[in-house]
Amino acid sequence: MRLRSAPAFAALAATALMATACGGGGEDAQEGTDTTLVIWSDPERAAAIEAAAQSFADTNGIKVDVQQLAFGDIQGDLLNAHQAGNAPDIFIGAHDWTGNLVRNGAVQPVELPEHRAETLDETSVQALTYDGQLFGVPYSQENIFLMRNTALAPDAPETFEELVEVGTSLKESGETSEVLSMAVGQEGDPYRMNALFTSAGGYLFGQDDEGNWDPTDLGLNSDESIAAMEKIAEYGEAGQGVLRRSIDTQNDAALFFDGEAPFFIAGPWNIGDADAADLEYAISPIPGFEGEGPARPYIGYQAFFVTEGSANSALAQEFLANHVTDPAFILSLYESDPRTPVQLEALEEVSADDANIAAIAEAGAEGMPMPSIPEMGETWEPLGKAEAAIIGGADVRETMESTHETIAEKIGG
Amino acid sequence: MSSRSSAGAPAPGAPARTSLPGGAFAGSGSLWGQVVKIALLGLFTALGVWAALPLYVGGNWAGIAVVAAVLVLVYWVYLSKRTVPLKYLLPGVLLLITFQILPVLYTMSTSVTNFSDGHRGDKEQAIAAIEAYSVTRAEQGREFGLTVATTGDPESGELVFLLTDPEGAAYAGDIEGLRPLDEATVDPASGRVTEAFGYTVLSPAQVNARSQELEEFAVPVGDGAGIRASGLSTAYEGRATRVYDAGCDCITDASTGVVYTADDERGAFYSEDGERLAQGWRVNVGFDNFARFLFNPTFASSFFSILVWNIGFAVAVTGLVFVVGLAVALTLHVPKLRGKQAYRILVVLPYAMSSLAMYLLWRDMFNTDFGLFNQLLGTNVDWLGDAWTARFAVILANVWLGYPYMFLVATGALQAIPRELTQAARIDGAGAWQAFRHVTLPMLMVAMTPILIATFAFNFNNFNAVWLITKGGPFPPDDPSAGATDLLITYTYRMAFSQATAEYGYAAALSVMIFVIVSVMSVISLSRSKALQEVDR
Amino acid sequence: MTATTRGYRRSTGSAFALWAARFGWRHVVMIAVAAFALFPVLFVVSAAVNPVGTLSSARLWPTGAGLDNAVDLFRNTPFTTWYANSLFFAVANAAATVFLSALAAYAFSRMRFRGRRVGMIGLLIIQMFPQFLAIVAIYLMFSTVGEYRPEIGFDTRWGLLLVYLGGALSINTWLMKGFFDTVPTELDESAQIDGATHAQVFFRIMLPLVTPVLAIVGLLVFISTINEFLMASVFLRDTDAKTLGLGLYQLVESQRNANFGMFSVGAVMLSLPTLIVFWFLQRYITEGLTAGAVKG
Repeated sequence: MRLRSAPAFAALAATALMATACGGGGEDAQEGTDTTLVIWSDPERAAAIEAAAQSFADTNGIKVDVQQLAFGDIQGDLLNAHQAGNAPDIFIGAHDWTGNLVRNGAVQPVELPEHRAETLDETSVQALTYDGQLFGVPYSQENIFLMRNTALAPDAPETFEELVEVGTSLKESGETSEVLSMAVGQEGDPYRMNALFTSAGGYLFGQDDEGNWDPTDLGLNSDESIAAMEKIAEYGEAGQGVLRRSIDTQNDAALFFDGEAPFFIAGPWNIGDADAADLEYAISPIPGFEGEGPARPYIGYQAFFVTEGSANSALAQEFLANHVTDPAFILSLYESDPRTPVQLEALEEVSADDANIAAIAEAGAEGMPMPSIPEMGETWEPLGKAEAAIIGGADVRETMESTHETIAEKIGG
Repeated sequence: MSSRSSAGAPAPGAPARTSLPGGAFAGSGSLWGQVVKIALLGLFTALGVWAALPLYVGGNWAGIAVVAAVLVLVYWVYLSKRTVPLKYLLPGVLLLITFQILPVLYTMSTSVTNFSDGHRGDKEQAIAAIEAYSVTRAEQGREFGLTVATTGDPESGELVFLLTDPEGAAYAGDIEGLRPLDEATVDPASGRVTEAFGYTVLSPAQVNARSQELEEFAVPVGDGAGIRASGLSTAYEGRATRVYDAGCDCITDASTGVVYTADDERGAFYSEDGERLAQGWRVNVGFDNFARFLFNPTFASSFFSILVWNIGFAVAVTGLVFVVGLAVALTLHVPKLRGKQAYRILVVLPYAMSSLAMYLLWRDMFNTDFGLFNQLLGTNVDWLGDAWTARFAVILANVWLGYPYMFLVATGALQAIPRELTQAARIDGAGAWQAFRHVTLPMLMVAMTPILIATFAFNFNNFNAVWLITKGGPFPPDDPSAGATDLLITYTYRMAFSQATAEYGYAAALSVMIFVIVSVMSVISLSRSKALQEVDR
Repeated sequence: MTATTRGYRRSTGSAFALWAARFGWRHVVMIAVAAFALFPVLFVVSAAVNPVGTLSSARLWPTGAGLDNAVDLFRNTPFTTWYANSLFFAVANAAATVFLSALAAYAFSRMRFRGRRVGMIGLLIIQMFPQFLAIVAIYLMFSTVGEYRPEIGFDTRWGLLLVYLGGALSINTWLMKGFFDTVPTELDESAQIDGATHAQVFFRIMLPLVTPVLAIVGLLVFISTINEFLMASVFLRDTDAKTLGLGLYQLVESQRNANFGMFSVGAVMLSLPTLIVFWFLQRYITEGLTAGAVKG
């Protein structure tokens, strides 16, 4: 056998690595000397969770590893990882993922001891319950609210009409360039719009007596919903020009912080910047239309879930059942990431110190938990586009009816 | 002329075959070359062993066979005299097959399945989930303080639950059932057993190591109910209401009496009146996914217009990017231009920036009320709200992002063309334009055509380019499914991955079709170009 | 630069007219193009120094200037680790890809064998499959690999590098082949007659002659790797394993854009290595030309 000089190092090394990669499935080669509980979190909360979980880790002689993913990626990545047998033990998520997680068998039911369940806000536990079974432990909630620049608008408006009146006079006097900063964007924003939509009497899904969402009762083409949209369209680009597609989540906060808009439909995620910005602000509920129902913003709950198939399910379950519900844990989470807790004791304590939390909670008093049925997910995009089109001046009835049809087709299919 | 002069091929009849496998030069390699080769083969063998070792431990013979096959292949290729081209191709090709072709084949194979949310795993997983999710607390469900213990070895001994009820009575429970426990020490603070005669209490880590076992463990208390652990320190009395029976391949709900029978065609359990259990499994559905969009009237009507715009978009972006990139390259392709390096850096800037950030930025610049364009032009155009202005916006942004690439490639290609050729043409009396048109351009095109085709293909499927700027919009008010700037891929993405249900099978079927369309178009345009003749030669 | 001798001279006008005809218009064109290239970049820089960390539109110049965002970025994220990771991937992938691709291009350019044409066309076509679907397959593959060799499974740089290298043979190989074709075959033939092996021809004759394309391909791969975040987001979850591109993506994705200021700082920082590499490689492009001119 004669040897000739051949392509060099990297080629062979790469090939060799390749060969390794070709290997098939089998047993775990890792050593199990140290138990590590893997938790997926979004980057904002990661440090908080890591720190707050430390006492749990110390008590049980284990390690905790918090890995960071973009919040929006967690659900999809988790489903893929679960399928590949590569998922974390615990992850945080939104309550409206529950239906889909359950459908894919990706989470474990959680049995909360009664003395723990009692300490949580009842609606929040209900929001994480699917088919009579609890699947995650809620720990915080968020809802949108009205933020106002108190230098420009000292009083919280009682009605949306009043808000527009105050804003318009400021705009006409040249003090501001906008009446209200409310993100709509080219794709619409049904999450924010729901407050006005419900106030004007519109509804998306019907509810049965027990409060369960009924996917067969889609209400977008109902007269109430169309009337509600007509009302909203009055404030659109073809009407008063208060709601416009050019205001989106990219610039809504900047408009308010720069003093260009006296009112701002904001969320808890804007608080940090608001404190940093050079202005005085106050938080109040989003006002409803005069003579109509209250504005009902969506409430989203954030929860901890245990992955099905987790190799450390005993510890993970213990963490959820007895640690996530512990006020001390919630408070330590709150320290580094201030969100409204759903643990009642913690909420009380936090509200006493932080006027914002109390105000946000008050703004969410009329709110409704986002429906967690899988059908809900099919509505966001078409409904958003319909709202954007209506605000842009499209015919309300026609748009709503065709949107209704599109969504109904998707849900039925 | 281009192909001949650029490839420098000798006259026909004396083709490049002299350099073919083996030939007269085999074996005349330098000593150094041989040493390197032996070392590399040795290293590679070591890597093979490294890879095979855990496979051996795990008893995965198929995996070992693959590793061995690759090793043999590598030895054969690098020791044989007749595999010269393979010696150069093998490393890249092996990587390509593993990390590109196999995933694509896998994806294609899912196009004939119902792989989607609710149909991800296999039947066993679905059954396990259905049973586990049906465990509910019994009517007067008791709660216990729990301590997990064993009568034997901590790692394998039989599990025993040491339980305390709210009244303070202690019990021991195993798979036999529950019995009172007298000799136990109960911690008054937690209300849990800390010690009991004859039992070894497990540490949290020890319990956790047996998680899987614990998930299935229940202390039977009669009537189908059992005491199950909830974490490490509490237990509750619960009952599984849905139980699978392999005999009838069905699941019976004990609380309602409804029987759900497995439907292996659709991959889910259905009751008699057609109600299904949410957890399904993946099954083969043949060409249903293809039929679903081919016979879908909405799809049929939108498909053609989207395809036309898709081609238009890809052609426009590729063409403009090419023209701008080449023009800039030609402008700079002159010796002694002052500031050339600075210019180069400046025009490459768009390419160096994160495209994610830049797409978001372009979207903002087209904002009606606050965007830069309307402010600079003093107009009030609803850029992204009108079909044609939105299309213009998308194209402009992508030309901005894409031309530096063409500039780089064209610069390289221009460098490779001997300057003497153009000069000779100019001496022969050709004008600058003519010299460019008849000498430079044809030679450039040899190197550039495949790049242009690839750019076309890339833009044809340029998801981010559209998604981050317009999300496919604007949409007609009566049809939120097909927007004015939608590409097939964004349309697919929306149809298949709407937030609620990821439909991989369906998406794969759509992708396969788009793939076929793009491939056919590319091969046709390629076969008409000089580039392919080049390949043929 | 040796190719400076002019074979022709036609204008005898004033020096300025000559300059304008030869260089002037080029400066005008380049300034226009540079302006086009630059203004969106100015936007990002403006957002980076603007103390309100949101992207406020329609401002080429920031309302205020400060290093708040940069400070935030350094304080709240393991920025330097991310940066180092990004550089590792970009450099390693660029180097390996250039090498693997050059090997293949040599075979495609200089040898005739069965499957050559199919191989080249296949390389083009395989790129056209929508990659976002393949993520599921990659998940399955690396979960299995990770069970046996955690060193190259998920959350490891070697695993991700392997995936990147799966794309080493791509359109870049076409690009290189086109350049290899421009090197006259007489060169390697005569070397072979002198007794050189094909490997010696490749390393000693071909590679030095095609330096410009190696530099360009290296740059292209460097840029695309440093901006890549999709595959990285599947692979890298450990905070310290992340690349800058991925970390930045997660910053904007998570906080509903309240982080845009930090993101912009990162985006600007991310483009710096690219520009440095470009500056550095420019020289090689020129040198390669010189070498080619002498030997060709």
